Amino acid sequence: MGNVQTEKLEVNNEMANRKKVNWKFLHSWVPPLIAFLIVMLAWQFGTAMLQIPPYILPKPTDVFMATVDNWSRLWDSASTTILESVIGFFFSVVIGVSGAIIMASSKILERSLYPYAILLQTIPIVAIAPIIVIWFGSGMNAIVIIAFTIGFFPMLSNTLIGLNATDRGMLDLLSLYQASKWQIMWKIRIPAALPYIIAGLKISCTLAIIGAIVGEYIAGIGGGDGGLGYAITVASTTMEIPYLFACGIAASILGIVFFLLVSLLSKVLLGSWHESEMKKD
Amino acid sequence: MMTTTELEEMVERKTGQHVVKMKGVSKIFPNGNVAVDNVDIDIADGEFISFVGPSGCGKSTIFKMISGLVENTTGEIEILGSQVQTAQQKRTDVGFVFQDATLLPWRSVLENVMLPLEFQRMSKVEKREEAERALKLVGLKDYAKSLPRQLSGGMKMRVSIARALVAKPKLLLMDEPFGALDEITRQSLQSELLRIWESQKMTVLFITHNVFEAVYLSTKVAVMTPSPGKIASTVNVSLPFPRDDEIRTTHQFSDIVARVSRDLKF
Ligand SMILES: Nc1ncnc2c1ncn2[C@@H]1O[C@H](COP(=O)(O)OP(=O)(O)OP(=O)(O)O)[C@@H](O)[C@H]1O
Ligand SMILES: [Mg+2]
Repeated sequence: MGNVQTEKLEVNNEMANRKKVNWKFLHSWVPPLIAFLIVMLAWQFGTAMLQIPPYILPKPTDVFMATVDNWSRLWDSASTTILESVIGFFFSVVIGVSGAIIMASSKILERSLYPYAILLQTIPIVAIAPIIVIWFGSGMNAIVIIAFTIGFFPMLSNTLIGLNATDRGMLDLLSLYQASKWQIMWKIRIPAALPYIIAGLKISCTLAIIGAIVGEYIAGIGGGDGGLGYAITVASTTMEIPYLFACGIAASILGIVFFLLVSLLSKVLLGSWHESEMKKD
Repeated sequence: MMTTTELEEMVERKTGQHVVKMKGVSKIFPNGNVAVDNVDIDIADGEFISFVGPSGCGKSTIFKMISGLVENTTGEIEILGSQVQTAQQKRTDVGFVFQDATLLPWRSVLENVMLPLEFQRMSKVEKREEAERALKLVGLKDYAKSLPRQLSGGMKMRVSIARALVAKPKLLLMDEPFGALDEITRQSLQSELLRIWESQKMTVLFITHNVFEAVYLSTKVAVMTPSPGKIASTVNVSLPFPRDDEIRTTHQFSDIVARVSRDLKF
């Protein structure tokens, strides 16, 4: 009797849970989708009604057609940009994190180097990009370096803050065991800084794409294929406005995909222990 | 009930050589704070001694000096027969339990307990076995694979105690380990700690704000007074071991509590 009842209760519970999940899913996806549709419709019919010419504001269908017609051109540009920004991002992560580890291991190094890192950050990238192009030639190298430069500082500063924010108690504990400086670094400070490093990754990954596109703007086509930035400059001079829009949208999709990948990585690395990635229920 | 001579014999058996010797020890922080002023205390082997006193009277500072985390300004400290600096070299001799469990959230319970052994020459298998033994001692061997965030406050504290015990210390320093726990959990951990102390043959130094806790656990209570921090008196707790919960309601128990409370007021 009692058993039957509890069983029933459990089944009910499960159903309620399933409903809740569905509801949550709808709750988070439906409103933005509706908003998107409304904006698209307004854009489509608004431009038609107000008779705005496509070289000022192309209709969504124009942009879509331009995307389809120029797909291989667009894909080539996008993959060039992806390659440049991934390499630039990779270097900003490796050099940013290891720079932070070196600075965190020595107060003197931190005090003498960090101000210059800040200085580097305050110089607008468009101001130094031409210099980088002159130094490294107007090809992939310069663009990768520009993507690196822009993503480097967030990695460095986030990691450094994380390494310096280690819990006092844990540090005391390790010094009780007579752990060496590097043992403390590997066993405590770096794992404890992981959430900060991930936060840095999330910022730098989108910045790397911005860096690559800015680089392409300035460096132009160089030796190899042009990326999205180059395609945008070309499309604006040849007045292919729908294609220009397609390139812009492609660039922001790249940014979103990059960000989602890093978020996924963050879930894998931190999911089990860190509050920022724990399931909110 | 035990007679006084029996009691004395028991204390005699448990205690022997001095494990901690402090002579004229003071700590003045760079900002001029006199945290500890001219403390003399000898703690015999096998003793369970509690330090009670109001906040800021230098209890933690004394522990930090004993463990070598903080250097004393004046006086001499001898731990396990050698000066603090050299005593530190045998780092397995001294265990430390902090007020908060300070577990590494990215490590499982077992890996947390293994941490102190990672600074010793020992095979991986041995480390694991030792950690499992320590976990068994605190009754958590079924939780070896859990992560700290999956445990309650009391269980985290047990893990922290297991971590301190894993290297078989001769001297265990506990700085308000049960301060953040509810009364029921606190009492069950107290009995457990006594059981471990009796079975492991070690000296325990224990900080608490709670006079009842101090009297229940200890062979001796060091009463501290603030500004500047010093030891006002040392009260012997002549209650028999093993102690059960009933002992909390006896006359002797409340007499000693009254005595300690009175010394605290000075
Ligand atoms: N690093 C420090 N620099 C300066 N003063 C300090 C430092 N650490 C502790 N003190 C001072 O030394 C005194 C004793 O501190 P301690 O932490 O030993 O007290 P406590 O008895 O453990 O107190 P509580 O019960 O609150 O933990 C306090 O007055 C405190 O302000
Ligand atoms: Mg304290």
